[in-house]
Formats: sequence, structure tokens, C-alpha cells
Amino acid sequence: MSNSSKKIDAIIRACRLMLRMNQASPNARKSDILYYKMLENYYRRLLEAHDTGKLIAAHTVFFPTELIYAMDFVPMHTEVTTWMMALFTGENADILSAGAELGLASEICTPHRGLAGAFANGSIPRPDVMLWSNLVCDNTAKAGELIMKITGAPGFFIDHPFKDSEEELQYLAGEMGDMVVFLEKVSGRRIHWDRLAEIVARMDHQIALMREINELRKAVPTPFSPLGFLQLLTTDYLFPGQPEAIEYLETLRDELAEMVKQGKGAVAKERFRLMTFFLPPMYLMGFLDRIAAEHGAVSVTEPFFTFWGEGHLDPAKPLESVARKSYMIPEMRMYGPLDNRAIDSIKKCAKEYRVDGAIYYADVGCRHSCATIKLFKDVLEEIDIPVLTIDCDVVDPTITSEDEVRGKLEQFFEMLEDR
Amino acid sequence: MNALGIDVGSLTTKAVVLKDDGGFAFGVADSGDDAEQSAREAVRLASNGSVVDLANGWHIVATGAGGKALAFSQQHKAINTCIARGIHHLNPSIRTVIDVGGESSAALKLNAKGRLSAWENQDKCASGTGIFLQQMSKIMKMSLAEMSQMSFQAKGRADISNTCAVFAESEVISNVHRMPPTPMPDIVAGIYASMVSRIMAMCKRIGIEQGVAVVGGVAMNKGFINILEQDLGFKVFVPEQPQIVAALGAAIIAKESAEKGAVA
Repeated sequence: MSNSSKKIDAIIRACRLMLRMNQASPNARKSDILYYKMLENYYRRLLEAHDTGKLIAAHTVFFPTELIYAMDFVPMHTEVTTWMMALFTGENADILSAGAELGLASEICTPHRGLAGAFANGSIPRPDVMLWSNLVCDNTAKAGELIMKITGAPGFFIDHPFKDSEEELQYLAGEMGDMVVFLEKVSGRRIHWDRLAEIVARMDHQIALMREINELRKAVPTPFSPLGFLQLLTTDYLFPGQPEAIEYLETLRDELAEMVKQGKGAVAKERFRLMTFFLPPMYLMGFLDRIAAEHGAVSVTEPFFTFWGEGHLDPAKPLESVARKSYMIPEMRMYGPLDNRAIDSIKKCAKEYRVDGAIYYADVGCRHSCATIKLFKDVLEEIDIPVLTIDCDVVDPTITSEDEVRGKLEQFFEMLEDR
Repeated sequence: MNALGIDVGSLTTKAVVLKDDGGFAFGVADSGDDAEQSAREAVRLASNGSVVDLANGWHIVATGAGGKALAFSQQHKAINTCIARGIHHLNPSIRTVIDVGGESSAALKLNAKGRLSAWENQDKCASGTGIFLQQMSKIMKMSLAEMSQMSFQAKGRADISNTCAVFAESEVISNVHRMPPTPMPDIVAGIYASMVSRIMAMCKRIGIEQGVAVVGGVAMNKGFINILEQDLGFKVFVPEQPQIVAALGAAIIAKESAEKGAVA
């Protein structure tokens, strides 16, 4: 195995292990099996891309991946791939250290410096193109340039307008159109607009399924697993408008509907219904699952990850729809202009999902998110919902230990119980 | 029924035995390598020096950094829950608690029922904790009590960094050796002020509501309390034995649990 396959291969092996464990378990959900299969296939396609004559398009978060699929490139989501390495391999010290050797300071977001390190030390495949935008932060805007420099791959930057007027939406659609021209030039292939229209139609269905799932999660007890939202997030980020995403979400919706019908909850005894902000440390996922089950704590809503607002995509206007979607995503209420849309969605979710408390995973490298902690905390405290802030990092285990997180969570659960 | 609360802290272990008449007895022992041994010693001190058979007739709740290591306790509770219960028992009007322990500090917000409603912890850095003060007393070559007394003679406050205990040390040394040297009382007041500034930042994050209590070992330092009160602009409540409040809270929870039949 080449050095450039090591990390991706480790993710594939871990997915396969999860898949086998789920297949062997009599209580496993079919949706979990589909999820790990989907994830394994994503990374297998990436690993085998060059052998099968495909081109790899590395891209940053909240990028219009629909266009990458429509152009028949193999996508590589840079941030999610770093999370997956932390989740499935348990550590990222080597790539973070390689990032440091590039001169990236420890205050910089770990997914970005980790990925830069992984490209620099050759532990993941070299992309054929690098695609990025200024959504959501300056780190993202600079990450693409750095990866281009390290890998020598050509790249395209999408200038994403901050606000979402009709004029700005048309400008964004124009930017995306320019990117299509760039990708056509690199690949020597023309885009199939019909294929893009199909993807957009499926994405619209995907959003509808997410809304249905969210409705089901309102049930008491809630049917979805304590940190199951991460699966929804990964599906959104990696598989927009893809048939396997539809199959997974439909299966999950049906399973949850059946559980709600039977009055079954995800944990044996639901005690605390939580709202979650940002991402928990990936390397602590096993522990977080255990402690959640132990205390009957379940994340029932994530206003800026899974709570899709209103709006539809029109397959007859595929490019415009992809642009429109980038303003519809739940994260945009937080990362776009921070106005009443963010505040209202927090209050609405707290009420509709009957939230007892909220956990803010304050990723030390994400200043953009951390700037909102006090604001969101104040909003929730006004309606008597306490917020626990856990300082951590999504992928770097040196920032927070399991013991620290345990102490804080146990204290928080005790406080909720005592109220 | 015997209700016992034990707080195994990083520097000392505290035990509180609740009496049937509502009073309590306490003992404080150094925290050694063996948490159980330290706890038994604290219990012995709380029991007028008698060795107590904890296996029979005791309802025990443990808390603190090493509380989980006590195999003989029936329940473990988080430290802030216990502090909230303990302080409410001593003074029901308290709404904000500042806990300055050996290796951590915290600000707690209490609701009208005396239950914890929010908190902020500071456990990543020595500044703003008892260890910081101990280190400063070594550099100043005086005891904690002498430092406390001297601070009342201060006419100003030396500027001491509140961000790092290690760098604060060199700041103190440079204040001592500059020409003319900063008066010693001003340096001591500056040391307390640097701790207070760190603690105030934490308090502001949860919001300071009166009455305010200060607990933990550092609350016994009158010089520190004086600077804190100056910066807060009002008087704070310091219990007679501020270091045992968490153990007292644990004992109260033990008593309640025993009454509810939740504990053996």
C-alpha cells in the first residue's frame, strides 16, 4: 500500500469493522448498516479514484458538492476527512505535527492544519483540483490556497456573498457557473445539466426527509440515538443529492417512525433532552455515547446543524438551486449575518423539542463559532435553559481529556436533575 | 442514622458528620497518595479522634477531585452540587459562590432554592488558585498569614500579570528588585489583585448576584477577601470554616438520600 493510501485505508477498515459489528448485532438498525456502507464506499471511491481514471476534487466545508458529483469528479471533503481520521484512527498527532512544520500556528483550526499536514506528509491522496470558498471563515478562505501550494493541484475559489439578497444569489450562481467552466477545462468533459437537475431533485427530497426526521425527534422519548445527528451531518456534507443518502434517510425515517409509534426511546430511560452546538471531540465519541446512555441524555436538536428551514430547490433551475441551497443550510443561520434567524431558531427548537439543557462544544480553533457562545447562552438562559460550555477541539486530544469532559458532564447532569 | 460527607481535595481532605440536632462536626486531613486513608483520617478527626467503623450505619456521600476513589461511600456527587447545598444550609440568601481551592477555582450561581443553576470552572491554570498563592508566599519569603496581614498596609497595588503563575513570579521578583523597590505590602496586594481579576472574569460570565459567598481554603485568607471586597464594592459572606462547605453539602445530601431510602 502506498503511503498516500494509509489514512484513507484506515478509515475504510474502521468503517468495515463497524459495518460487520452492526451486521452481527441482532439489535442493529438497518440505517446504521447503510450509513457505514455509504461511508466505506465514499472513501473506497476516493482511494481507487486514480486507478479507475477518475479525478479527485478536494473541497472545503459547505461547498456545492452537487456540482462535483454532476461533473463526475470524486469529492474529498477536507474537514470531514480530518474528523474521520480522528474518529476512526483515534489520533491525528502526525498530521498536526506535519501542519506545524508548515508553520501553521496551534491556534489555527485543526481540521485545516491537519489536512494541510496530511497533504504535506503525503498520507492522503493528492487531489487533481482544489475547490474552496470563503464560507465560513478566513481559515477556509486561506486553506485552499495552501493546499494548492502543497499539492501543486490547480484550484478554484468561489466568492460566497455574505448576505442573501436575490442579487447576491445570482452572483453566487455565476461564481458556480465559472467553476463548472474551470472543471470542464481540467477534465476535458462537459457537465451534464440533466444529471445536475437529478441531483438537485434528490437533494430537495433529502431536505424533506431531514425535516421529517426532525419532526420524529420531537417525540418523548426521542427515537434517535444520543449523538446520531453526526450521521445526519455527515450525510449532508458528503452525499448531497446522492441515491445512497436517500436510501439511508428513508430507512432511518421509517425506523424512527416505528419507534415513535411504539413509544420507544433511543436510550433506556430518557432523562435529559439536550440541544447541541458545534461538534464534540471526535476522539471521545465512544465515551460520549456511553456517558449519554448512562445518564439518559440525548441530543434532540441542533439548530445550526440539522434544523433545516423553509424553502425548496427547483430542478428546472439547477445552478440557481445549488446556490439557493447554500443559503438554506442550517449552518448559514449562524455563519451568515447573525440576526434574529439564529436567535429565533434557538428559541423555537428549545420549545418544540422540549429541551432541558444545552451543550456548547467550544472548539478552541473555531473563533467564528466561539464568538457566539455568550450570545446563545444568554438567549437560552432567558428561557431558563442552562448551557454547559466544554472547551475542546474536534480532532486534537491534547486540548481536553476524557476525565475533564466527564467531570463537566456529570456536574451538568446533576444540576439538571437538581433543578 | 449517621450522615457523612467527604470532600477529597487536591491538597486536603475534609469530612463532615451531621448530628441529629442539626449541628455538625468536621475534620481536615492532608490529602496523601491514598484517598481512603486520608478520608478515614479526616473522619477520625471529625469524631473526636475515635476510629469509626464506616461499614455499618453510615450514609456516605463523597465529592471532590479524589471522591470517586472512596470505595466505602455509597454515592458520589459533583463538587459544585455539594458546595451549593452546603452554602445554602449556612446562609440561604446566597446567590453567588466563589470557590477558591488548592488547584482550581469556580464561580457558582444558585437559584432561590439554593440549587446550582450555572457555573464556571477554572482548572487549566494555576493563577487564581491556592497553589498560586503558596508559590507567591515562597518567593516573598513569608507565610500566608504574614502576607495576609501585610496586605492591609498597602497604599497601592503592584501590577502583577493575571494570566500566568510562572510569569507572575518573575513580575514579583522584578518588583522587589527595581529601584526604588515596590513596597512589599503593595506587591502582596498586587498578588491578591491578580487572583481577584482572574476570578472576577469568571464571575462575570455567570453574572454576579448578591449575596456573594467565598468558600474553599483561600477564603480563610483575610487579605485576599479584603481585595476581593474592594473590587466587588460590597461585603462577602465567608463561612466560619470555608474549606468544609463542599463536605457539608455532601453530608446534607447523604442525610436526604438516607431519609428517602436511596442509600443503603
